[in-house]
Amino acid sequence: MSGPNGMLYGGDEIGALVFDPGHHSLRVGYAQEDTPKADIPAVIGVGPATHIPDAEEKVPDGNVTQTATKKDELRYYIDVTELHVPRPGMEVQTYMKDGQIDNWDLFEKMLDYCYSKVIRSPSEHHPALFTEAVWTTRPAREKLAELLFEKYQAPAFFLVKNAVLAAFANGKSTALVVDAGASQTSAVPVIDGYALVSAAVRSQIGGDHLVTQAKNMLNNMHIQMVPIYSIQSKEVIRERERARYTLKTLPAGLTQSWQQYMLKRQYEDFVHCVAQVSEVAYDDRTAASVPGLHYEFPGGYHQDFGPERFKLTECLFEQSLGAPHLVCAAAGACDADARAALWGAVVACGGGACAAGWLERLAKELAGRAPSAHRLKTHAPPAPNERRFAAWIGGSILASIGSFQQMWISSQEYDEGGKGQLERKCP
Amino acid sequence: MADILDILDIEQPGASEITRDSIIHGDKVKKKYVTAKAVRRPEGMHREVFALLYNDNKDLPPLLPTDTGKAYKQTKAKLGMRKVRKWVWAPFTNPARKDNAVFYHWKRASDEAKEYPFAQFNKQVSIPSYSESEYNQYLKSEDWSQAETDHLMDLCQRFDLRFIVIHDRWDKAAFRDRSVEDLKERYYNICSILSKVKTNPWSNTVTMVNGEKRVYHYDAEHERKRKEQLKRLFDRTQEQIDEEQMLLAELKKIEARKRERERKTQDLQKLISRADSGNSVANTQANVTNEGVTMPSNTVSNIVRRHDRKLHKKKLTTQQRLVRVETVSVEWSGIKFPEARGTGVWLRSQRMKLPPGVGQRKTKAIEQELRLMNIDIAPTPTEAICKHFNELRSDLALALDLKNALASCEFELQALRHQYEALNPGKTLSIPPSICNLNVDGEAKPIGEIIDVVGSPTALNTTI
Repeated sequence: MSGPNGMLYGGDEIGALVFDPGHHSLRVGYAQEDTPKADIPAVIGVGPATHIPDAEEKVPDGNVTQTATKKDELRYYIDVTELHVPRPGMEVQTYMKDGQIDNWDLFEKMLDYCYSKVIRSPSEHHPALFTEAVWTTRPAREKLAELLFEKYQAPAFFLVKNAVLAAFANGKSTALVVDAGASQTSAVPVIDGYALVSAAVRSQIGGDHLVTQAKNMLNNMHIQMVPIYSIQSKEVIRERERARYTLKTLPAGLTQSWQQYMLKRQYEDFVHCVAQVSEVAYDDRTAASVPGLHYEFPGGYHQDFGPERFKLTECLFEQSLGAPHLVCAAAGACDADARAALWGAVVACGGGACAAGWLERLAKELAGRAPSAHRLKTHAPPAPNERRFAAWIGGSILASIGSFQQMWISSQEYDEGGKGQLERKCP
Repeated sequence: MADILDILDIEQPGASEITRDSIIHGDKVKKKYVTAKAVRRPEGMHREVFALLYNDNKDLPPLLPTDTGKAYKQTKAKLGMRKVRKWVWAPFTNPARKDNAVFYHWKRASDEAKEYPFAQFNKQVSIPSYSESEYNQYLKSEDWSQAETDHLMDLCQRFDLRFIVIHDRWDKAAFRDRSVEDLKERYYNICSILSKVKTNPWSNTVTMVNGEKRVYHYDAEHERKRKEQLKRLFDRTQEQIDEEQMLLAELKKIEARKRERERKTQDLQKLISRADSGNSVANTQANVTNEGVTMPSNTVSNIVRRHDRKLHKKKLTTQQRLVRVETVSVEWSGIKFPEARGTGVWLRSQRMKLPPGVGQRKTKAIEQELRLMNIDIAPTPTEAICKHFNELRSDLALALDLKNALASCEFELQALRHQYEALNPGKTLSIPPSICNLNVDGEAKPIGEIIDVVGSPTALNTTI
């Protein structure tokens, strides 16, 4: 913290936790660490408590948060080890909606899980820093503060816009942050650590849209995505041969929502492995010249994917909805004096930005659109998980800075001022 | 060091360094190792034999070789020579916080409790404040209500005068939308009014210069104009930018051409005016030379005007410039030898060095002429020789230039004559003999006479 010569350096860790809720997953971990402790899918399986797991699918008891005793009580299944087990009557629900926390009861279950199974430490020992989307409404913010202070007895709480944190993670206080998330893509200008709310723009094109596109594409190619949980065994076959596998006997009454969720994970994997963004707008000839990529489906069917890989991702760069357009719109909505600085620091983050070639394509498209008077520079951390967790990492940095420790809303302050001060203290 | 101390039998002060042993054995006093008075080696006994009998601790030598070295033992890495200091998870309060909230952090157990070090970074911008009555008395504005002004000052405080952010967070529901410039104008207005009224300079907009208050003045109109221009600059379409680029490139080309032309005319002007000044010396031979050089341009342009209007445009302009030349008087060309040298001692031969402006080709030509005249290229540099030699070479340079100019004029004249004859078949252009003959004349004349033109013929002649 302080050197022998009286100089101050480094940060000051006070055992704070950083929570970064997103549509795809919730990231949670200690401040001052470089990656979150856990990356938990942002969905919760809700099933009847009456179901007793079979011996073979029994997992260490630890991952079940609520041990229900009464017959009509519900049981909540959180995190992949619990969630990915086929259980009759288990519905998959999400607590997120439009970038904000919507279902507070479910979110509470998630927080319970975080504290008891991930952090394994009582919540009253750790100040909590939460990230939020730029457009989070005031009631949602206040509700979160209320939950943390009143239910979890957090000693301190703070809320920061995720765009600001992503900028911090890239070492910038002024940046134009492009966040390619699961449910949407957004571009938010950040000036001196403050997000410009009125200039933020977003579109509904995100990772989920890409997954839908992949699904349609595979349907059109007549490739069947067999759910991996339903497969007992499969045979080794030659490329493009018909898949031969035997099916498992599954418990009856698997819900539609759970099956959908599981399939979505498989499509996500397909997209993650196969999809690539071409450097320039899609062109049949150049796409065909790139060697194909091999992918084996859970059923055993496998084949090479060539130009389809590039065609798939073109939807992310649509004329009026893609990231380049958002960046231009956001920059255009800012004050003229701020634009030069923003164009000089375009920061890309989010899971969508991990797709191969995504950043290069963005840089290229922006070079064509940005006013020539500005120096354009596009930044993104080189490692994909640093891109995915940019907001969390920014929060981790922020919460461990010594001079930040005066910013927390402490429980004393909350008791005196109530949740009304949230707007003032967390800009 | 310790060895020397031992030899000199000086008591060593207590070891300041902490060694591994001192940590392990704690406070146990290190046994002082006292050596008994060494037994003297008897005369004639070999050192090695004596060492077997008497070693330091006076033990008998071992019968079997023993392993006391560190052969099997790894030497432990020494990571610093200090004791490990303990860390504790300790509560602290931050003076930068108003609520005395207690957080915990790791700190050294040995560090005494002092103020939270990061509190020193808690810097705040001072924003002027005003009371209700002050507002009513001084700050009333038709455009701004008090509530709106209060809101502005509140945002200024919260966002530390980051007006772009303030504009972004402006309560657009309660108040009408205002531009960044409006907000700044109002804020700085309030600052300047309050700084006049109040005595203590609280604000960062007031600076004291020579004991006099200076208030930052915000020129909103200018800022608005500037921003408008900036916006226009950014909002240009690609076509506009391309067009601008194209025009700029064109401009560059035009200017380059213009410079080239000017350089050419200047060269000619120099030559002609040199000849003119020779004319004013009023030498008979000079008259001939003068006529020889200026006449062609005159006649040529006349001919051009009379007979050939389709002549190349560029050529025409040069010709016209030539006509105009006569009225312009330019300093003579030739070689200018720099007068002032650097301080200190220097060789006089330095004065005969051609200045760096003279090109290689010209230098060669001058040397050639000198050889023709049987003059040493590097004569003994007496005062007089230096002066005259320089003058001579300067004149030679001029003569060469004139010769070249004459040759080019002659060539042009011939070319024009051919052109004329081609355009008007059957006719021949009669060129006045004064022009044609000149060439022959000039060649026939002894060089000395041409050089005479410059002046001081006697001096030259004597030198040579």
